[in-house]
Amino acid sequence: MSLAVIGLGNVLLGDDGFGPFVVELLRRRYAFPPEVELLDLGTPGLGLISYLHGHDAVVIVDTIAGGGAPGELRVYEGAELERLPAAPRVSPHDPAVSEALAVARLAGTGPYDVCLVGAVPSSLELGAGLSRQVRAAADAAAEIVRRRVEERGFAAQRHDAGQVDDNWWLRAEPGNGRAPTCPTVAARALARRANVGSEAA
Amino acid sequence: MELHVQARAPGPPGGGLRGEPAMRRITIDPVTRIEGHLRIDTEVDGGAVSKAWASCTMWRGIETILRGRDPREAWVFAQRFCGVCTTVHAMASVRAVEDALGLDVPLNAQLIRNLILIAHALHDHIVHFYHLSALDWVDVAAIPKADPTKAAAIAASLSDWPGNSPQEMKKVQGKVVALLQSGQLGIFANGYWGHPAMKLPPEVNLLALTHYFQALDFQRKANQVVAILGGKTPHIQNLAVGGVMNAINFDSLATLNLDRLYMIKGLFDEIVPFVQQVYLPDACAIAGFYPDWFGIGAGVRNYLAVPDLPVDGKATAFDLPGGRILGGEQASVKPITGARDEVFRQGVVEDLTHAWYKGRGAQHPWQGETDPYYTDFRDDGKYTWVKAPRFEGKPMQVGPLANVLVGYAEQHALTRKWTDDALARVSKIAGRPVGVDRLQSTMGRYLSRAVRSAMLAELALKHWERLVDNISKGDTTSYQAPSFPKGPVEGVGLHEAPRGTLSHWVVIKDGVLSNYQAVVPTTWNASPRDEGGLPGPYEASLIGTPIADPEKPLEILRTVHSFDPCMACACHTLDPAGRTIATVQVL
Repeated sequence: MSLAVIGLGNVLLGDDGFGPFVVELLRRRYAFPPEVELLDLGTPGLGLISYLHGHDAVVIVDTIAGGGAPGELRVYEGAELERLPAAPRVSPHDPAVSEALAVARLAGTGPYDVCLVGAVPSSLELGAGLSRQVRAAADAAAEIVRRRVEERGFAAQRHDAGQVDDNWWLRAEPGNGRAPTCPTVAARALARRANVGSEAA
Repeated sequence: MELHVQARAPGPPGGGLRGEPAMRRITIDPVTRIEGHLRIDTEVDGGAVSKAWASCTMWRGIETILRGRDPREAWVFAQRFCGVCTTVHAMASVRAVEDALGLDVPLNAQLIRNLILIAHALHDHIVHFYHLSALDWVDVAAIPKADPTKAAAIAASLSDWPGNSPQEMKKVQGKVVALLQSGQLGIFANGYWGHPAMKLPPEVNLLALTHYFQALDFQRKANQVVAILGGKTPHIQNLAVGGVMNAINFDSLATLNLDRLYMIKGLFDEIVPFVQQVYLPDACAIAGFYPDWFGIGAGVRNYLAVPDLPVDGKATAFDLPGGRILGGEQASVKPITGARDEVFRQGVVEDLTHAWYKGRGAQHPWQGETDPYYTDFRDDGKYTWVKAPRFEGKPMQVGPLANVLVGYAEQHALTRKWTDDALARVSKIAGRPVGVDRLQSTMGRYLSRAVRSAMLAELALKHWERLVDNISKGDTTSYQAPSFPKGPVEGVGLHEAPRGTLSHWVVIKDGVLSNYQAVVPTTWNASPRDEGGLPGPYEASLIGTPIADPEKPLEILRTVHSFDPCMACACHTLDPAGRTIATVQVL
C-alpha cells in the first residue's frame, strides 16, 4: 500500500500556488512513513499520469473554479472527479486531473482511492504568495489531508522543520518591487543577495 | 459528446457577416475561470478556412517576476513558467547566464544536461503523439469492428516489436467495448468519433490504441531518467550556473556512480526500441493513411532551429545542427552556429503591434518591455497576449519540422538517415512517393516529431557512452563557479526544445537581473500578425483548411495540435463544477 499527496498549481501565480504550498506545509510539519510520498508537481497537464502510477491512494490538493468565497475548501471523491465531462483540448496542456485519473483507471494501474482537496482562490495574479484567506485555508487543508492519510494507516509524526512561509518562491529579492510576505523574509532575502564580484557560494 | 456547440445568429463580433450565409465564423475558445488560454478564430468560406486569428487569452509576462533577482537562482523560477516544459526553461536560463558571463561548462555537465534534455524530449514527444493528439486521427468508435488477429498482422508488417500479439490487441479491444457499453466515456468523450474526416481502417485504430496504453510505460521510463539525473521531476534540482550539482565518483554510493549510469542505460535500452520500432512506424502508418494532410497546413515556410546537444565545454560543436530556411527552399539554408552567432543574437525581435502591450513595432529582447495594455479582441487591432517574434524581420515556424528540414538541408547524416527511412515507409503505405518537401504540412509536423524522436533515441546511447568514457578518463569535474562583473552584461541561452527554438535573454547589472525575456517556441508559432500585417504560423497554416462540419471543426484542431501548442500550462485550476470548459462557437 502506498499513498501520494500531490500538490498542483503554479507557485508564481498567487493563490494558484495553494497545492504546492500545502504539500510543503505538510513536509515541514510532519514526518510520514516512507510509503507516503509528498509531491509538488506544479502544472503537469497529462504528465500527472506518471505520478499516479504505482500508488494505491492519492490525495490531490489544488485550486478550484466555481462559486464560493475565497479560501473556501471543498473535498471531492475520485468518482466525482472522473464524472466531469472532458472538453476538446485546444492546447494539449489544459488541466487534466479527471482525464489523467480516467487514463490510469482504463490502463488498469489505479489508483482507486482518490480525493481532491480544493480551495477557492482569491487572486491568480502574477506574483508570489497566497492571499490572506487562502493562506488560512492552507492550514485547514493540511489537517484534512493529514487525517485522510492517517485513516489509511499511516501515522504522521509532528516535527516542525522550519517555517513554511519561507518557501523559496515566497522570498522577495530587493529591487524587484514586490512586497515580501513577512518582514523576516525580507531580512533573509537581503542576506542571501548575490555578492557582486565574488564567487558563488 | 460533451462538446458544447453554440450556434448564434450571424452578426458581430465577426463583423460583416450578416446576410452572408456562405461564410461562417468559428471560434474555438476554452473558457476557463482564468480567462482561457489559446483561442482560435476562423472564417470559413465555401467549406474552407479563409481567415484565421490565434489569440492567447492569458497574460504571458511571467518573466517580469525575475527582475531584481539573483541570476544564479533564475532557473529555479524559470522552470515554473510552464508545468509541462519545466526542464527546458531551467536549461535555457542557466545557459543564458553562462553566456552573459562567458563561462564555459565542464564536459561532464554538458553531457549530463544533454541526457536530461534527450530523455525529457522523448517523454514529451511520446505523450504528444499518443496521449495528446492521436485521437484526432484514431477513431475509437471503430475499434469494436476490428479483427485483432489482422491488427497484429498489420503491426508485424510494420515492425518486429514484440508487444504486438493478437492477445494484446484483443485485450485492448475488450477494454474499449466495455467502455463503450458503460456509456461512461471519460477521456474519450472529447473525441470527434465517427467524424467524416476519420480514415483509418478499424485494425489500425486498434493498433494505435494498443500502443497508446503501452506508451504510458515508456513515457514514464523516460521521465525516470530525468529524475535519476535531475534529482527530482518535475522541477529538476541538479542545475547550477556553471554546470551541474551531480557529484561524480564511481566508488561512492551517494554520487553519480556506475550503478546509476547503468540504471540509465537500462532505461534507454527499453525506450529506444519503443521509439524506433513503435512510435516512428505508427506515425508513418497514420501519415500513410492520411496522405491528403501532406497538402494541408503548410503556413509560414520560413523555419528556424538552433543547434543543441553540445559535445564540448564551450558549446561550439553540437550533435543537432541549427539554421534558418526561407520560403521553404532547402538551398536558402543558413547555419546558426550557437549562442555566440551574431546572426541569431541580432536577428530576433518581438513586434507589439497586435499584442496587448503598450507600443507598436519591434523590440530586441534585451530591450524588451512587457507593459500590458488590454483592449478587446479586435480583428484589425490588438487581439492576443502573445508578442510577434520575428527573425530577420520575418515570421518563422519552429519545432521538430524546422529541426528536420534544417538538418536535411545541411546534409546532417543522422537527420537524413531517419527522414529518408520515414518517408520510404510512408510512401509504401500511401502507395505514392512522398518526398521531403511534403513535410511542409500538418502531417509533416507529426512525422517530423517522430523522426526527431528516432534521432534523439540514437543520440541518447551515444551521449551516455561519451559521459562514461570521459569519466573513465579520470575527469570528474561537473561545476565551474561563476563570478559576476560590475556593470551590465547581456546573454542569451538557447535550447532546441520539444516545441522548437527556445531563447532566454538576460541583462545582468552588478550581479542582479535587470531584464529577462523568454522567447518561447509557442510564441513563434502562435504569433499574431506583425506591423506589416504578416500572420504567424498557426494563422497562416489554417488558411485553406477544409472543414467538413463547422459544428465539429476537427480539421482545425488537427493543424493546431500538429504544432504541439503549449500555452495553457502557466496556470492550473480544476473546474469541479463540471462546466464545459471549452466552447466552439459557430457564428
